Amino acid sequence: MNAPERNLHLKAPASGELARIVRVNEEIKAIVSTAFRINLMALNAIFLAKRAGNAALGFGVLSNELRRFAQDLTRHMSSLRDMTSGSVGSVTGVVQHQRTSAILAQAIRLSGDGVPGVREARRRGAARLAEQQSRLRSLDLRLRSAVEETQQLVELGGVLARSAKIEAAYGGSFSPALMQVSTDFAEVIAQIKRSLEILGKERLIKD
Amino acid sequence: MKQAHCIYQQDDHRWLAIARDATKPGYIIDTNEYVVLSGEEALLCDPGGIEIFPSVFSALSAECDPTRLAGIFASHQDPDIISSLALWLEFKPDLKCYISWLWQSFLPHFGGQESTFVPIPDSGMPIRLGALELQAIPAHYLHSSGNFHLYDPKAKILFSGDVGAALLPADASNLYVEDFSRHVRHAEAFHKRWMGSDRAKRDWCERVSRLEIDMMVPQHGAIYQGADVQRFINWFAALEVGVLKG
Repeated sequence: MNAPERNLHLKAPASGELARIVRVNEEIKAIVSTAFRINLMALNAIFLAKRAGNAALGFGVLSNELRRFAQDLTRHMSSLRDMTSGSVGSVTGVVQHQRTSAILAQAIRLSGDGVPGVREARRRGAARLAEQQSRLRSLDLRLRSAVEETQQLVELGGVLARSAKIEAAYGGSFSPALMQVSTDFAEVIAQIKRSLEILGKERLIKD
Repeated sequence: MKQAHCIYQQDDHRWLAIARDATKPGYIIDTNEYVVLSGEEALLCDPGGIEIFPSVFSALSAECDPTRLAGIFASHQDPDIISSLALWLEFKPDLKCYISWLWQSFLPHFGGQESTFVPIPDSGMPIRLGALELQAIPAHYLHSSGNFHLYDPKAKILFSGDVGAALLPADASNLYVEDFSRHVRHAEAFHKRWMGSDRAKRDWCERVSRLEIDMMVPQHGAIYQGADVQRFINWFAALEVGVLKG
């Protein structure tokens, strides 16, 4: 009996999912490194405020708050990173499964639908794929909600940076130095906001 | 075009050769797959790689009911032998895969779970298939360090994996060896390079010389039958193996 031969030139249908995880991870890494920078900047700001004495008491308090903010942000990002590294397994499962299903579907096309067992194989495959995709969707939801929580935290960081700028104006002879530090705070927090916006738009799985 | 050829039939006991694929992409080594059928059960020998799964599945389905597949016999662990495992399991999740114990924990990288694998001890073992009792015959180091061939004493067929393999020109479509002397020219370099142990080779030649073999069916190239089987064993026994050139 003849069986028509065709070469397999299958697209990798879910390769985009892995690329998305890589992008999400890269953004998370960027935010973690920025959070580390804020932590150092806040530490320097605390020393600077101490040197400025009474004129920079308010600035010192805000610098302490910014340091706490940087630590909270690092914790948030680390839980986000755990989530995405867990999702690599799920995405790989989906990618593998889609490839397997595509090859099996091609085999069935060549053999005809009348071959015993193919309907059951298709049903089993579809059920398993649906299960993996649903797991990925729920992970995606959790990731989005975690990003939203982090965005709220960063809003607070933005308020602290603005307040630091106001306090810097009362820093007497230290005012230009304190102003420079508070401007740096505002810039890095704006940078984090941009990264979080990108993260908020990324989806681990297409709808 | 992959085709399934019936190379042996006695009542419901059959051997199918899914062999010689002239239309496959040139960058993939050509492989032969064999199906042993007995009663309601079938065993697939060296099912091949992922890339050729659709054509093997289709050729097999054209000749027999694929739900009858009870197991897969993998002579060794190479990708052209068994990388399609996950796809066969996708079709039939309860398939058993017979493989040397040595590769039992390596093969799950291709697919399957613990319950999929039936480890074959170094000394070999009988494999039940319907009314048949097949024999896993040791062929270690020919070429893999955990390597088995499959012998069917009733059909007198030896599935010899890579032993007897010949890398034939793309236009050679003969299923059986027609001219032994010309054929082995295509087998010589392969055996010299891939078969790494002279001692293992001599052991194997001695072992299979004691078997009654009407057909020796390799994973690449044409099938040896009749007197060509012993000719091959003699030729192999005399061949210097484990050499890069010469």
